[in-house]
Amino acid sequence: MRRPPARRPARRPADPAPITAHAVVLETDARALAECAERLREISERLEAGGVAPRWLRHAVNAHLAACTTAAADLTTAAAHLRHYADSVRPAAH
Amino acid sequence: MTGDPGAAGEPSGVSAGGESAADAEPSRGPEGDGPASEASRGPEGEGIGPAAESLRVAARELVDIGVTVRGAAVHATAALTDGALLKALPHAPSAGWRTQRALLRAITDGRGLGWAPAGGRPVSLAAALGALAGAESLAVRVLATSLRLRIAAVAVDHPELTGDPMLNRLVEAAAADRDLEAVRALRALLADRGAVRVLSQLAPVFGEVLALRALLDENPLNDATAWLIATGTGYATADPVTGMSNRAVAVLDRGEGAARRVEPAETESARLATKGSLLGFLGNISVIGTTGRVLIQSVEGPDGVVRHVVQAPGMRSGRPDHDSPQDLLGAFSSAVLAASPYSRALAKAVADYGLPEGAELALIGHSAGGAAVMNLAQDPGFCARHTVTHAITVGAPVDFKRPADPDTWVASVTNQHDIVPTLDGQGAGGCFDLHPDWYVVDYSDATHLFPLCHSIDRYVANIATDLPEARDHIDGRLAPYRGPVVRSQVYRLFDHPPEPEGFPFLTVPTHAVPGPGGRVELPIRCQDGGALTAYFAANPAVAAALLEGTGLGPAVRVAGRALVAVHAAWNRRTSVGVHRELHVGVVVPGPWRARGPLGWYDLVRGADRRRSGVFLAGSVVDTAVVAALAPRLWGGEPSLLPLEFGLARGLARITAGLGGASRAGAYGDSAAGSAAAGEWLLVLGGRLGPGLPVSERDLVGYARAAGTTLRSCVRARGRALLHPAPWLRLTVAPGSAHPLARLLRDLGLDGARPLLCLSATARRTLRDAAVPVPTT
Repeated sequence: MRRPPARRPARRPADPAPITAHAVVLETDARALAECAERLREISERLEAGGVAPRWLRHAVNAHLAACTTAAADLTTAAAHLRHYADSVRPAAH
Repeated sequence: MTGDPGAAGEPSGVSAGGESAADAEPSRGPEGDGPASEASRGPEGEGIGPAAESLRVAARELVDIGVTVRGAAVHATAALTDGALLKALPHAPSAGWRTQRALLRAITDGRGLGWAPAGGRPVSLAAALGALAGAESLAVRVLATSLRLRIAAVAVDHPELTGDPMLNRLVEAAAADRDLEAVRALRALLADRGAVRVLSQLAPVFGEVLALRALLDENPLNDATAWLIATGTGYATADPVTGMSNRAVAVLDRGEGAARRVEPAETESARLATKGSLLGFLGNISVIGTTGRVLIQSVEGPDGVVRHVVQAPGMRSGRPDHDSPQDLLGAFSSAVLAASPYSRALAKAVADYGLPEGAELALIGHSAGGAAVMNLAQDPGFCARHTVTHAITVGAPVDFKRPADPDTWVASVTNQHDIVPTLDGQGAGGCFDLHPDWYVVDYSDATHLFPLCHSIDRYVANIATDLPEARDHIDGRLAPYRGPVVRSQVYRLFDHPPEPEGFPFLTVPTHAVPGPGGRVELPIRCQDGGALTAYFAANPAVAAALLEGTGLGPAVRVAGRALVAVHAAWNRRTSVGVHRELHVGVVVPGPWRARGPLGWYDLVRGADRRRSGVFLAGSVVDTAVVAALAPRLWGGEPSLLPLEFGLARGLARITAGLGGASRAGAYGDSAAGSAAAGEWLLVLGGRLGPGLPVSERDLVGYARAAGTTLRSCVRARGRALLHPAPWLRLTVAPGSAHPLARLLRDLGLDGARPLLCLSATARRTLRDAAVPVPTT
C-alpha cells in the first residue's frame, strides 16, 4: 500500500499588528524629534536674545538641530517602510 | 545638590523662603513649604542671577530633548530587533529587507541619531562597541551640550572658572572630546596649582566635567553613570572616570554594624553643648571629631518633652578600611548605597540608647555622617520604630536620598567648593530641582580650598557668621529641640561587633567581694598596663631573716647574695580603675622543697606551674580600693602612697611617696642628689639598656598573714623586654622612717643597681584572690 506523500505544513500567516505598532511609535518619535529641532532653535534664540549664550552654543545647537531633522526624516522613512511591510505580510481578504 | 553660586569671596546667597545670608553666598534654599521656583530665589531679592537661571533652564530643556532623542533610538532599535519582523520576512522578503535597512540606517546615521543602538543587553554590547570606536549618539551630544550649559551657568557666578585660561582649557578640551589635550591641561594645572587648589577650583563643576568626559570618552563602562549625572535621574552608579561600579567598591565595606558605649574625655565632656541648637549640635560633632564615635543626646524641649538628637561626624582618618564604619569605604558606601555599616551601626547605637516608644528624634550629620543619617531617615523600619522629625546634613552627598517619613524635615547645607557633596554626581551646576520640599543652602565663601572648606569647623564658622538667616531658619525648625541637654552618650561604632576587650584572656568568670565602696569583681582584669621588675642582689642575712618561719625555704641566691625583686606596675585600665602598685620581695624557690637543679627554669614558668615566687616584704599602692583589697589579693597590708610610673624610650622612672617625681626631676640617677628626706620614699630610675624581646612573665607572690602563707598570682600577657645590663639605680629617701625604706636600706639596696630588669610597656593582667597554702 502506497503511503500518501508527506505534505509540508502550511506556512503560518504573519501578524502585521506588531509591525504596524512599531510604525506608529516611530511616526510619533519622528514628530517629537521635529519638535525637538524647533525647541533647540527656540533655546538658541532665547539665550542669544538674552545675551547669555556662550559663543560655542550656536554651532552646537545648529548641529543638533540638523541632526534632529535628519533623524526625524530617517524615522519617518523607517515608519513608512514598516507600514508597507505590514501591508505586504497582511493576509489577503477572501 | 542644586544651587546657584554667588560671587566668590562675597556673601550673596540664601536659602529657603527668601532668607538671605549676610556674608557668604548661599544660593538656593527651598523652604519646605514653597515650590521649587520660589526656593531658588535669592535672599533679599537677589538669588540666582537671571543669566545663570536662563542657562540652567536651557540645560534642563536640553536634557528633555536628549531623553526624547534616546527614546526614539530605543524605539527604533526595538523595532529592528523585534522577532515579529524577522518572522514575517518570508512573507514579504523584499519589503522586509528594505524595512530592516531603513531601521538600521535610522540608528546608525551619523547625520541623524548617530550611533544609537539602545535598549537591552545585546544592544548595549553594540552600543559599547560603538563607544569604543568613538562613535557617539545624538542624545549624548545633546546631553554634552546641556552639561556645558550647566558649567556656563556656574561660571556666571564663579568667573574664575572661565576667566582662568588653564581651567578653561581643561573644560574646553573635555567638552570637545580632545583626550590628549584634556590630559595635558590637567597636568599643567596640577603642576601650576597643586592638586588641592585644582580640586577646589573645579569643585563647583566637578560632577559636570567628569560627566562630560565620561559621556564623550571611548570607555563604555562609564556611560551609564554619565547619563545619570547629566539627566539627574540618580546617583552616580560608577566611577565616572574608570566606570568601575560603585557597588563593586561599596561591597568591600561589609558589616552588620555595632555600637559600644564609651566615655568621652573630660576635656571633651566639658566642651559638649549643654543646650540644644544647630550650632551646639554641630559643635558637638566637632568635639567628637572624626574618631569613629557618634553622640546621642536627649534635650528637654520648651514644652517639657524630652527629645533625642543623633550627631554623626564624618569620615575617620587613617586606613581606608578599618574596624570603624567611618572609614573611607564606609563613607563611600554611605553615599552610594541606601544602607551601610555606618547607618546600621547608628541604628544599633540608637537601640542601645533606649528611646521610649514614639519618641521624637532629630538626625544631624556631617559629611559621611550626613549620608549615614539620611540612610537612617530613609529606612522604613527605623522610621517605624522612631519618629524622625528632622534630618540635617552638612557637607554631605545626599541628593538622591529620600526620607521614608514624608513628615521628616530635611535640610542640607553645602559649600560649593566642597567636593564631597558632589560625590553623588550633583553639584553647584545641577539644573534639576531634586527635592523641592527640602531646605537647601548651597553657598560659596572666600575659602575655596578643599579640604579646608569641608571641615566641620569651617561649616560651623560659616553658619555662625556668614549664614545667619539659614542658621536662624534651621534653629527655628529645631525649636522643639532647643532646651537643656539632659543626657549625653558617646558611642564608638564598628563594622562588626568587636570582640570583648582582652578576649579570650580576660574573659573569665568573676565573683563579687566586698570593697570599700561596694562590691568589687574579682579577678581584677587589666586591659592595659605597664610593668617593670628589677632584680637586685641583696644582703642574704636580712633576706633569710625575712623568710624565717615562712616555710618558703632559703632565698634564691646569686653569687652568694639573695635575689630581691622590686616590681612596679601601672594598671591603666582595669575593672577597679586605674592604679599603680609597687612590691618588694625576696625571690624564693617555693614551699615544700628547696630549689633544685631546675630551679632557675621554674622562675620563668607560667603561674599555674610555678612553685617559685617572691616573698612579699613590702608593698605600696596608690588607691584606697586596692589598698582595701590587698589582704584578699596578696595578703599584705600595703602603704597607701602616691606612685609614679614612667617607662618609655628605654628609660624608667618609678617613684613612691609624695613629691617623689618632682624631687627625682628627670629620669636617671640624679634623683638621689635632689631627694629631700621625709617627702618621698624611693626612686628607681635610669636607662634600661638594650633589651631582648620576651613574653611578659606571670608574677607569683607569697605572703604571711595570720599565721598562714598565701600564694597570689598575677597572670600577664604581652610583650616584654629583658634588659641584661640595666643602668638603673634604686634610691631610698635618706632618713625616711617608712618601713619599706628601712627594709630596702637593710637589704643594702639603697643606691644599688639591679642585675637585670624586665619591662613591659603594654600588657594585660588578671589578678584574683590569694590562696592559702600550708607551708609550715
